[in-house]
Amino acid sequence: MKSRKLYNRISVLREERGISRKELAEKIGVNFQTVGYLEREEYNPSLDLAFRIGEFFELPIEMIFSTSPMKPLSQEILEQKKRMGG
Amino acid sequence: MSLANRRIWVLINHLCLALLLISFYFGKETGMTAVAIGGLALAVIVGIISFILVHISSGLWKLTHSKTDKLDERQILITHEALRLSYGIFAIISLVVLLALALLEGKYNITLIVIFAALLYLAHTLPSSILAWTEKEV
Repeated sequence: MKSRKLYNRISVLREERGISRKELAEKIGVNFQTVGYLEREEYNPSLDLAFRIGEFFELPIEMIFSTSPMKPLSQEILEQKKRMGG
Repeated sequence: MSLANRRIWVLINHLCLALLLISFYFGKETGMTAVAIGGLALAVIVGIISFILVHISSGLWKLTHSKTDKLDERQILITHEALRLSYGIFAIISLVVLLALALLEGKYNITLIVIFAALLYLAHTLPSSILAWTEKEV
């Protein structure tokens, strides 16, 4: 079965936190090249790895990964606030 | 090294192996002539150079020879996929070499056909036999 392409915000979040690919790789327990593959959306992580990434960035998985191209994080938060009536 | 260059070196490396075997076989059969020795020497020298470039410098030898617990999930996935493909290629090459040698040696007989058929059967059934042995539910 061919899996769907997963989009993610890993590179944006990593740069925002000011950490290198190597540092992120060490934190989530993968090779640094795998972080590159993840950031280029050339590799879909397992659920376990997706959770580890979510735990590292302290964000829910759906804020990091999506099956459709991702909007900027600021826009998404604004839309969520509107939906919640804020 | 770019992917295109790496692929060229992979082909060179495997051609060296074929050249080594062919040179050795004909050297053994017809005597170690200058052509056979030259073929062997060329195969060994270029083979070592291409082996270092493709397998050692790239780190791919280490990757494919590491235990699973030393690799991350993407590395496990790509090495397993490579092993899956290698298994099929290796089985075909082994059987073709076996058949070619038997034909060259003039030993084409019923025993060879039976061995060939048994190995072909084994190559096809071994993966599912392993799954039948290891998996709780199939």
